[in-house]
Parts: sequence; structure tokens; C-alpha cells
Amino acid sequence: MLIGAVIAGIFFGLYFTLVGLGLNLVFGVMRIVNLAHGDVLMLGGVAAWALFTSLGLHPLVSAVLVLVVFLVAGLPVYYAVVPRLLRSRDSEMLSLILFFGLSQMIEAVTTISIGATERSLPPRLMGVGPIILFGTRLPKAWFYSAAASAIAVLAVYFYLYRTRLGTLTRAVMVSRDEALATGIDVNMVSAVAFGISLALAGIAGVFAPFIMGSITPNMGVAINLTAFAVIVVGTLGNPLGTLLGGIIYGVSLMLMQTYLSSWANLLPNLLLIGVLLIRPEGLLGRKVRRA
Amino acid sequence: MRSKLLALGVLAASGIAMARAPAQAQPAAPSQITIGELYASSGPYASISMPVYNAFKMWVDETNAKGGVQMQAFGNKRIPIKLIAYDDQSSTATAATLYNQLITQDHVDLLIADSGSVLTSVGVPIAREHKQFLFDVSGTGAAFFSDDNPYIALMADPVSTIWPHYISDYLNDEGYKEGIRTVAILYSTNDFTGTQAAALKGFFERDKKVKVVYYQGVPTNTSNYTVLINNIAAQNPDAVLELGYVGNDIAFLRNLQDSGNQFRFVFTIYGGTEKEEIEKNVGVSAVANTFSYVPASNYEYKPEIGMTQTEFRAAWEKKYPSGSGVAFGANAIYGYMTGLVIQRTLETTKSLDQMAIHDAVFALSGKLKTLDGTFELRKDGAQIGEVTPLGQLQPAGKDDLKLVAVYPPDLANGKAVLGK
Repeated sequence: MLIGAVIAGIFFGLYFTLVGLGLNLVFGVMRIVNLAHGDVLMLGGVAAWALFTSLGLHPLVSAVLVLVVFLVAGLPVYYAVVPRLLRSRDSEMLSLILFFGLSQMIEAVTTISIGATERSLPPRLMGVGPIILFGTRLPKAWFYSAAASAIAVLAVYFYLYRTRLGTLTRAVMVSRDEALATGIDVNMVSAVAFGISLALAGIAGVFAPFIMGSITPNMGVAINLTAFAVIVVGTLGNPLGTLLGGIIYGVSLMLMQTYLSSWANLLPNLLLIGVLLIRPEGLLGRKVRRA
Repeated sequence: MRSKLLALGVLAASGIAMARAPAQAQPAAPSQITIGELYASSGPYASISMPVYNAFKMWVDETNAKGGVQMQAFGNKRIPIKLIAYDDQSSTATAATLYNQLITQDHVDLLIADSGSVLTSVGVPIAREHKQFLFDVSGTGAAFFSDDNPYIALMADPVSTIWPHYISDYLNDEGYKEGIRTVAILYSTNDFTGTQAAALKGFFERDKKVKVVYYQGVPTNTSNYTVLINNIAAQNPDAVLELGYVGNDIAFLRNLQDSGNQFRFVFTIYGGTEKEEIEKNVGVSAVANTFSYVPASNYEYKPEIGMTQTEFRAAWEKKYPSGSGVAFGANAIYGYMTGLVIQRTLETTKSLDQMAIHDAVFALSGKLKTLDGTFELRKDGAQIGEVTPLGQLQPAGKDDLKLVAVYPPDLANGKAVLGK
């Protein structure tokens, strides 16, 4: 059972890497906390459900569409919201309030539009039957989502370290003011990062029905809590640290489910408290938070 | 002559006074009866709450269309219903505040709990403290009912300790004959499913036939069961009983199919209770041949009040057509049935005093038959009249399932098919 829990935890954690990756990218670049991240994920799931039920689109095709649409949608949303926020005296704190409001709005509009009950996609779309790994039976969808997550991590890495825009993004991550002083179009760089963040959340949403059974308009809050735990563990502001945070979360959750199942929902809170008390800068140790 | 006229006048006046006396003793009829109700439009309990709320609104609309409820207490006058409903968003903290608001600010005449044990649990002590009678729609947690609390009655579901006895009876009886020897119980840690799980464990331990080899609780917000199913499979049980809410059952059944693990007997609560919702989300193949309770929505009781199930379903589908976001199921029947109990209560109560309401509700016990079966209360307010037969979702043609009652024998309309 121990080996099974660890293997399942790694795959499950890879999915939560995908969930947290965009949230961490936004924090790293803009120093704002997008509390509507989980709701954007939910919208990705709703989009996949709507595309399947109305057009019969396979979720992997929907994932590509969601990637493009959410990436493009992120640009105007950024310009409408974030620059004004960043001009405020305490943008980090105000972002919590603003995006919480946005989160509530998205949830309410979605509930009005599609109802409050569960929506899902047929399991067969990702293939019926398990994949057996070291004697552990795992759903095929977990491999697809882990692969999507791995591709996303590599793509973000490639973007940050192998492209000119990525170099500019890292410059903004180090110091927004200095980047601005050197002539970097900080808003353009940030808008692209914001769009990428929404796209990553949207893709995670497409896989959500297969990982979490179903999607509901109110799922965003719980997703946010988990994603926040993942990125704090992996180091706030370091998108690639999310990989470590995700795997630690996934393995810990599966171990809790195996040996202390009744208490499993405490895990994100325990991880958050533990890391903040023992190593507040996160396990990768990069100090990015302002005092 | 004058004295005769005076005497006649006195007689007439006293006659009029005597004739009026009963009317003057009767309290003035209120302009409306206010009913306070909570519902959850979002959150994990929305799928069991919204059908109750929508169905109850149907009863309110139907009643008000006739001019209201005809109340003996007010000279058989028809009095319209005013429904005050608040959205607790599946939050117990919000629900607690709103129960208080309905009692202390809105001063409702009748109070209806939100659907399910979790959101009812916070209302029980509040109602009791304020001496307000609580119409508990489907909060079946055994801890809600005690002999010293007269301010609650369970409307539509039997108390949780009664629900699962047909499961253990079946497994200990016919299941045992078919070779069922071990069982795994996986439950969500809340009053509704926790009580059922504890009751089941007790039944199996008492009867000493089928052995419980796995007994674990998981948080109600659990959305992935893959590792739990693998852990259960490691114990190699013949039967697996998963007791959760709709979201839990969806995730469990999907993960079970994905895992490829197979057990001879698999039970979920909502596979049958909210059949359409579950089928829609997990697909027919994932739920086929699993067992569940047979709710009123799949059993034709002959009502003595209100619509038959067929009529009610037609009215429901007219008002809430497919795609409206709220599926027809047992909870819709519970909401309408609660309206019928309230209707009879208001018709017969001596006043709107909360103990008079209590007396009127309990006077209906054993005498009221609705589309949900027989309404019968234990003296502590727990529902004991309605039954939850064990059913199996058996294939019925291509891409369709029929919920067949398989136990107890006197209620069965089919035979169980166990896996190999």
C-alpha cells in the first residue's frame, strides 16, 4: 500500500503542479495573488464540458482550444485590472480582495448559467481501464494529465529560460521597477504571463472532471487553497518550484488517505502552516516575498 | 307593549351575542402564513438541496393558486403562504446565521431545514433553543432526535440508523448464501453517512456472518478515491459499501471503473437515489449492476393526498424542463412531500403556537400516505414509516438502467445479480 500511495501521489501531484503553476507565475511576475485562479480552472472544465456536449469535441482538442482562448482572454483582463492594482499602495493585499470578488462573481454567473449541480465528461474519453505501474492501478486520465503537466512545466521553463520574452519576464520577476527603468515594456510582459497563467488554469480545468470526478461552480475556493499550499511549499514566486510542491502535496495526500483517511482534508492547511513556520521562503529557499 | 319590545330587544341582542361568542373567541386570522426555508444554490449540497427547494416552491405556488391553506383554527379560512427562503451556499456557518435570522428577525410561523444532515445539524439546536418546531426534510442523523426535544420531526427519509438495515439483512441472508463473506465500508465523515456506516458495522458485528475487513472514513469533500479503492482491493472484500453524498459517489464510481477493480457487490447511496444525476456524470457502464437504495422516485406509492408520482413528475418537468440545472429525483419528492405534511398540519392545527404545530404534525403519524410512502414518526420525531428497499441498477436495453428493488422479498420486484 505504501508504494501504491507514493506512485499515485506522484501522478496526482503532477496534476496539482499544473493547477498551481499559473498561480505561481502570476505571483512571481506581478506580486499579486489571483484568488480567482480556481474559478478560471472551473471555467476551463465548464468549457470542456460545453464543447463536448454541444459539439462532441474530445477533451484533448478542447484543451488546445482552451489554451488559446484563455491565453488571449488573459491580455485584456490584465490591462483592465492589474495595472491599476499595481499602482495602489498595497497591491498584494488589495489583489486578495479584488480577485476574491472576481472569484465570487465568476461562481455566481456560472451557477446562474449552468446550475449548481455536478457536470462531468464520460470517463471513456480518456480510455477505459487502468494502467498498472508497479502493481498500482491508475486511471489512464492520470497519465494524460501528468503528461499535460510535464509539458506545461517544460514549456514554462523553455519560455522563461530560452526565449527573449522569458528573459524579460525573469527581469520583471527580479525587480519590476528596475525592469521598467531599463525600458522593458513591463505591462506587455506581465500581460503575457497573466494570459499564460489563465491558459494553464484552463487546461487543468479540462482535466478536472477526470481527476476530481466532476466540476461544480463552487469548486474554485477549495482549488485555490490547495494550489496556494502547493506553491507555498514549492516557493512563492518560483514557478518551477511548483513541481516540487505539487509532488509533495500529492504524495502526502495519498499517504494520508491510506493511513489517516479521516484527516486527509487537513493536509493543505498542515502543509501551509508547517512550511510557513519552519521555512517561510519555501523548500527551494528563494526569498521573494517583500517584508 | 314597550316592555315587550324591550324584552324582545334584550333577547335578540343576547341571541346575537351568543351566536357571535365562538367567533369572538377564535383568534383573528393572519393575513398570511410565513414559512422560512434554507436552500443551497451552490456548494457540495446544492444537488440535494435545490430539488427540495424547487419542489417545495411548486407546492407553495399550487397552494397559493387555490387561495392558500384552509385552516380550521381560523374558521376554515384560506390563508396564503409567504415563503421566505435564504441561500446558505452549503455553508454550515451561513446556515446557522440564517436559521437564527428566520426565527428572530423574520419571526416565521414554520421553519424548514435545508436538505441533508450536514446543513440540518446546525438548525436542530437553534430551533430547540428558540422553541421553534423544525420541519426536518431529510436530515437523518440519529443524534438529531431525542425524547427531550419536541421541536423536530423528520419528514421524508427514515432516520439514518434505519436506512441501511436492508443492506446488512441482504448480505447476511441472500448474499451469504451466494458466498459473500467479507465487506469493506468506506464512508464520508458526516452525520448522514457516518451514522449509516456505524449502524452497518454494528449490524455485521452483531450477526457475525459477514466480516468487516475495511472500515474507513474520508472527509466529505473527498474528490478522488483511486488510492482508497486500491487499498480496499488489497483487502480483497466481496462487497464494497461506499456511503457518501452525490459528489462522493460520482468520484467513487468513476474511479472504480477507471481502476479496473471489480467487486461482487458494490453499493452507493445516490446511484439510485439521484439516478439521473449519477448516470449523467459517471455513465451507464460505471453504475450498471451496482446496488443502491430504492427511493420513492423509483417506487409507485399510492398517495392519499397530493399528486401521484407520475403527475408530480409531469408537473416538475413542465416547470423545470431538462437542462434547467436541477434534476428530478428523490429529493424533489421530499420537497413536495414536506409541503403536503405542512398543508395537513396547517389544516388541522389548533393554533400557530409551536407546540400546537408539534401536536398537529404528530397527529398525522401513521395516517398520512403520500407519494413518498407512509408518514410515521417515532415519539422523538424520527421518521420510521418510510422504507428504503435495497435495489440494483440493472441494464434495461442499450444505454439504460432500471432500478430494481431486490430486497426485502415482500417489496422486491426483481432478483439481485451478484458479480463473479
